[in-house]
Amino acid sequence: MMEPIKVSLESLNLITLAPMLIAVAGGLVILCIDLIKENLHKSLYVMLSILFLFIDLGAIIGLDVNERGFFDVMLIDGIAILSQIIIVVASMLFIPLALTSKRFHEFSLPEFFALFLFMIAGFQFMVATDNLILIFVGLETASLALYTLIAMHNREKSFEAAIKYFTMGALAAGFYAMGSMIIYALTGSVELYKIAEVLADRGYEPIWAVLAAVAFMIAAIGFKLSMVPFHTWTPDVYEGASAALAGYMSVVPKIAGFIVAIRFFEFLIHSDVTWVRDILYIAVVVTMTFANIVALVQDDVKRMLAYSSISHAGFVMAAIMIGTTQSNSALFLYWVLFLFTNLGAFTMLWISRHKSTIWHKRFDHPYEKFSGLVHIMPVAATIMAIFMLSLAGVPPFSLFWGKLYVMSSAVNAGYIVLALIMAINSAISAYYYLKLIVYMFMREPIVDSNTVYFKNASLSLKTIVGLSAVATILSVVFISPLMEYITHYVSISGF
Amino acid sequence: MSYILSVLVFFPALAGLLGFIVKKDSIRAYGITVAAIEFVLSLWLWLSFDSSNGGFQFVELIPLIPQFGINYYLGVDGISLFIVILSTFITLIGLISLTIENNLKNLIVSLLFLEMTMVGVFVSLDAVLFYIFWELSLVPMLYIIGYWGSELRIYASIKFFLYTFTGSLIMLVGMLYLAYSYYLATGTISFAITDWHKLILPYDTQIWLFVAFFIGLAIKVPMFPFHTWLPYAHGQAPTIGSVILAAVLLKMGTYGFVRLSLPIFPDASVAAIIPVAILSLIMIIYTAMVAYAQEDIKQVIAYSSISHMGVIVLGTFAMNVEGIAGSIFLMLSHGIVSGALFMLVGNIYDRRHTKLIKEFGGLASVMPKYATIFGIMLMASVGLPLTIGFVGEFLSLLGFYKVSPALTLLAGTSIILGAVYMLRVYKESFFGPLTNEKNKNLTDLNAKELTSLVPLVLVVVWLGVYPKPVLGPIDTSVKSLVELMEKKAITKEAKELFSTNRVELEAK
Repeated sequence: MMEPIKVSLESLNLITLAPMLIAVAGGLVILCIDLIKENLHKSLYVMLSILFLFIDLGAIIGLDVNERGFFDVMLIDGIAILSQIIIVVASMLFIPLALTSKRFHEFSLPEFFALFLFMIAGFQFMVATDNLILIFVGLETASLALYTLIAMHNREKSFEAAIKYFTMGALAAGFYAMGSMIIYALTGSVELYKIAEVLADRGYEPIWAVLAAVAFMIAAIGFKLSMVPFHTWTPDVYEGASAALAGYMSVVPKIAGFIVAIRFFEFLIHSDVTWVRDILYIAVVVTMTFANIVALVQDDVKRMLAYSSISHAGFVMAAIMIGTTQSNSALFLYWVLFLFTNLGAFTMLWISRHKSTIWHKRFDHPYEKFSGLVHIMPVAATIMAIFMLSLAGVPPFSLFWGKLYVMSSAVNAGYIVLALIMAINSAISAYYYLKLIVYMFMREPIVDSNTVYFKNASLSLKTIVGLSAVATILSVVFISPLMEYITHYVSISGF
Repeated sequence: MSYILSVLVFFPALAGLLGFIVKKDSIRAYGITVAAIEFVLSLWLWLSFDSSNGGFQFVELIPLIPQFGINYYLGVDGISLFIVILSTFITLIGLISLTIENNLKNLIVSLLFLEMTMVGVFVSLDAVLFYIFWELSLVPMLYIIGYWGSELRIYASIKFFLYTFTGSLIMLVGMLYLAYSYYLATGTISFAITDWHKLILPYDTQIWLFVAFFIGLAIKVPMFPFHTWLPYAHGQAPTIGSVILAAVLLKMGTYGFVRLSLPIFPDASVAAIIPVAILSLIMIIYTAMVAYAQEDIKQVIAYSSISHMGVIVLGTFAMNVEGIAGSIFLMLSHGIVSGALFMLVGNIYDRRHTKLIKEFGGLASVMPKYATIFGIMLMASVGLPLTIGFVGEFLSLLGFYKVSPALTLLAGTSIILGAVYMLRVYKESFFGPLTNEKNKNLTDLNAKELTSLVPLVLVVVWLGVYPKPVLGPIDTSVKSLVELMEKKAITKEAKELFSTNRVELEAK
């Protein structure tokens, strides 16, 4: 006879769910407002989204570390808190980009903002659990919302991008489900900590089944992180999405993906099964190098940034492969710094965006567009150049410190060759970042009116650019406290 | 004034930022004034410098990222003092001689930023700080070559940037590994160069780290076979770019050898003497021969510049006081002389818009002052006694003579070869009849050009005749450097080399 299920409210520990519920509630409130009164201005929705995210942030910071809740599927450890903070802060910084001076279709729809908040809730679920099923639920919630957000951008290219992303995402979801299924068949559990125990107890036998599961998982996570060879959707989707959303996609979904990757690969890397590490090693090196080389030949700045973000993801994935506390902390540091620099770079593209493509028959942001920008808009050109230098890893701009930490953690863990490969990749990447600087600073302008470039600028966009520029230039000031904070949270989560 | 080094580093950068506000027609005066103040500050540094002390002075230490052992850590000793003064001096002279009108404000601001990075490199005692300034110096230089240069400027500037950037990144990996080794040895992590000086590393580790640092530094010097970026950079850069590049930026590499490679890896450095010497010899002889074949005056000087840098590296790797002190002195003299030569080429280029030797001939009759100054600089470049060029070259070669007389003899050909290609340039462009009609009406040096060149001539003669005020502090610091290396040496060869050095010193 079955035992009756007894659930006490205390054991549910609903507080762990609060951040996601706030985001979902925010989305519902926005939908309700739209039901009651139509045609409200987008600024209302932007501000409401920021306010809900602010409350969400408060709820995250208030969480106790290392708690479980909701039938033990929620896991609030240090990295869950850290990554949720990054996700929410990044979203708060990206959403004001909707306040452009030109009217872009998607931002006048309240559904955009509702979906945006649902998506954030999905990402939060993904990072705050070690239950394979809940990860899947979070992943799909977020992804489905994101597909729609891309498609809302009312251009033919965007539909193509959304469909491409959707198809690829569906495939990834299939892989994920397949991988989880094999793992469940092997271990009888969907909780990662139990899976780790069971697999360790039986010495990772049968090895072919573990291999199959890991292969499916790498494919699934690889899609989300756009690791080579699962990266093919990335440049096209970035190209089709608006610059604001492309910038968002290059940061937030990836941090959620990284968290899943840390949780999933951590115990495998520290096990005796060395081939997991080898596979990751190869994936990391190939992702970094291949994306870099392809980025060299791009004609469009946005596509270049897309490939560059693939390469950065590979760089950071190396931190997971190294698997020490230092490297995992370096991952978060890198991603925080990358968030600001990439936010700035994509916002600069967004500022100079036109409703129709006037520069090139296909691209919005070909390199030629930026010719001689320094003569037309010296400050903007300088700021853009600083973002590029930061991405290339020129000190003292922010990403240099990220690279320093990641490379240092590689060296300290004995991966000297990997550190050298990283160094050489940084050198290769310098070329395509320099290319933009060369266009901006060393060529003659083709259009000498700054209004052409400033078409889409509004105060909020300029504020965001200013903020990211300050964070990029003065990063050395906050590296130390940031690092302390991150290391604290990473080490109490046991990674 | 205990923060004089910070002031020296950040004053030009601050001035550069404020320079954006200065109106276009006054920017030149602004730039010169700022550079002059900076130069006076550096002279003040010299005045308050204690020459009897071989250690670091005016030290500033503020923790920057304490968990990771990165500090804001500055200081100068006799080795870096004069290179700092050289940087401020050359910047000032370069700004005075500036003839570019196009987008002048951006150029002057870039130069002031460049000055910050140059001074920063030479006073940093923390490896990460050193690296920051080292890399940052590429950015204004990229802009200067890429915007104000001649036809192939963009190619040249990118080549310059990528070469140096790649090398430095490999050096960065070396630095990280060194910090890690320090952590393994002492339990705390530190990027302070002075801490690294105390660290005794196993021989194998030293070799690997030496190679990593060597790649970074050798590209900057530029050592053969990493030198191919330099002729392009010089060939395409505007005059001011070539002047700063030859006079100061290349010195970052050789300075790095003295500051990092020798004291941190003494045994590996001793083991590397012969290979490095061979590379330097190739550099000296091969580039001198290439210089002879050039048709462009600027390219002759560019290649001669590489050739002389070879002598500096050779002197550094003599591992004794004469050699190292000589090479540091040679860095200064090379800075002054090659800077002056590039400026002189710039003067003639401003008049004729060509730098080809065959376009000239008999210039001495129309431009006597120009010919005189060119002649003096040429003599100094060749290393004639009583000029600044002689002291350093002589000491470097003397130092290396103790290591290997045969190789020194080969290196000595640099003086002969130098005389050959330089005199050829001089003969073909200055002597003989005035063949080219276009040269008939050339004006001699004007007041502005003289203001920038005469100080250089004075320094060339003054330090050539009486080098002691500069050599003294260099000697003191180099002595403590060599003592440090001797104390740290672990292999038999290194110990022997350093002990014979010491015996000779004491015998004096």
